[in-house]
Amino acid sequence: MSAVIETRKLSKWYGNVLGLSDVTLEIGPGISGLLGPNGAGKSTFLKLLTGQIKPSLGSVTILGEKIKNNYAIFSKIGFCPEHDSFYEEITGWEFLTQLLSLHGFAASEVKIRAEKTLEVVELSRDKDRLVRAYSRGMRQRLKFAQAIAHDPEILVLDEPLAGLDPLGKRKVIRLIKEFKSQGKTIIVSSHVLPEIEALTKTIILIHQGKIFATGDIHYIRDLIESHPHLVSVKCAEPRRLASMLLTEDYIRSINFGPDSKTLVVETKNRDKFFSLLLSLIVESRIDIEEITSPDDNLQAVFDYLVGK
Amino acid sequence: MTVREKGYTHWDGELKPARHPWWPIARLGIKLAFKKKYFKFIYFSAFIPAFAFLVGIYISERIEDFQWMVRGSTRILEMNPRFFNYYFSSDFLLFMMVMILLASGAGLISDDLKYNSLQLYLARPLRKKDYLAGKAAVLVFFIFSLTILPGLVFIVFKLLFAGNFSFLSSYPWLPLAVIGHSLLVTVFFCLYTLLLSSLSKNRRYVSILIFGVYVFSDILHGFFSENFKQPAFALVSLKANLQQMGAFFFKQKPVFPVAWHFSLFILVSLCLLAAVVLSRKVKGVEVVK
Repeated sequence: MSAVIETRKLSKWYGNVLGLSDVTLEIGPGISGLLGPNGAGKSTFLKLLTGQIKPSLGSVTILGEKIKNNYAIFSKIGFCPEHDSFYEEITGWEFLTQLLSLHGFAASEVKIRAEKTLEVVELSRDKDRLVRAYSRGMRQRLKFAQAIAHDPEILVLDEPLAGLDPLGKRKVIRLIKEFKSQGKTIIVSSHVLPEIEALTKTIILIHQGKIFATGDIHYIRDLIESHPHLVSVKCAEPRRLASMLLTEDYIRSINFGPDSKTLVVETKNRDKFFSLLLSLIVESRIDIEEITSPDDNLQAVFDYLVGK
Repeated sequence: MTVREKGYTHWDGELKPARHPWWPIARLGIKLAFKKKYFKFIYFSAFIPAFAFLVGIYISERIEDFQWMVRGSTRILEMNPRFFNYYFSSDFLLFMMVMILLASGAGLISDDLKYNSLQLYLARPLRKKDYLAGKAAVLVFFIFSLTILPGLVFIVFKLLFAGNFSFLSSYPWLPLAVIGHSLLVTVFFCLYTLLLSSLSKNRRYVSILIFGVYVFSDILHGFFSENFKQPAFALVSLKANLQQMGAFFFKQKPVFPVAWHFSLFILVSLCLLAAVVLSRKVKGVEVVK
């Protein structure tokens, strides 16, 4: 995977307050979820990537070029801010064409791009309405439109699903995934775990200005050895299965669920456990209805990493 | 339907930074100003003195035909530097300029702060100085149209009506004085407006500030001059300082018996202060407070 975005020892202080600390990171193509609680440093990181604030220390490289004093590189980045950033008294069309013209396109090119982008975000029919008359979902899609209209290589989305209804969320998620299908790089920031999970498995966990973990969510989960894995097994004979599992030293505990069919196993070695389970299914003819990993998700990983 | 199916394709052209990245910002600012009906009224009213002076130039060249009208007061129609100073330093013109700044400039930065638009600008291939240049260009457009444009038009019309260059040979420095004074007034008013516009997210407060500071400084001048009988108090008035500089550029007797370089010092200091404040205020939104 070739890095599209690289940061080296990136740090930012706001006076005495630490915004971001010593972040060295490589981000490749596809969707990366930037995850962290409010005040973790997500917005600071995104603002540093998009050149809105300067780092106190360290550097950012985008597509092999340093961004310091290289403002032309920002034509390759599309930024969708968290909060609304509209002039309320202009139309959606005026808003989009104004921002497109800042990229140096000819007037005819601006029109073509604005029309196509508004069609993509399904705002063509409402383009001549004043922004103040737009609904929350339409505003969010217009923000997304201004971020993609100049066809950037990198899309930086700060809380793109905030405040949207389920239908609006689905539309924006679809747009983001379509952008990914073009081979672009997308960074999505959110503090809402299911939103990130709906978009990607590649995450960057950030907390208190530091990067806690990066990579595939399952891979990160496997690396957390201090926390045993939970595996929930639903079967017809949970007590028989439990008696067979208890002999193994890597099984730390077994609990029975309230439905008397579910077994929640706490294991130190997930691979060995699954091998054993497989052999029990075959050799001892245990009928398994369902196997799930309640802690193999973003919430659990996040809670483990931030020490909750 | 996917983006590809809808025809969202990569642009094949070469993407270069815009040659004049400030221009779209300036264009939007001018457009938004003209969207306000009251602005159009103020702006076009501000041209009344220019038209009156143009008529004056015409009459001064056809003074025999208009003797019945002007009678003994031909002196006021004499085309000389005093005529220009009278136009550039007139209370009415300066007041109308302040009204134009108020209507077109109050929201220039203030609205961007209110609507968080700065982050959209600064995340594009646009430097802070391009952003500020775009905002300033809106004001330059309006102020130039009331200063440098009429000033040069007066000279051209004078030459056209006279049919010779004797006026210009008598005052060869006058075009430079028009340009110099117009530049000073424009730079000062631009920075004054942008400074105040960057201080609040509320356009109305900024409007009040633009009007209030200008008028209040003049009231203070009147109050102190009346009570302390000291002409130096003219320096507290923005209007008086601009008029002092007008008298200097057009080689006229100062309105107030105070040296012109004190006024220049005050105006330049205010401009520098504005530049420093603007460079601090115009930046990406800080997330931690």
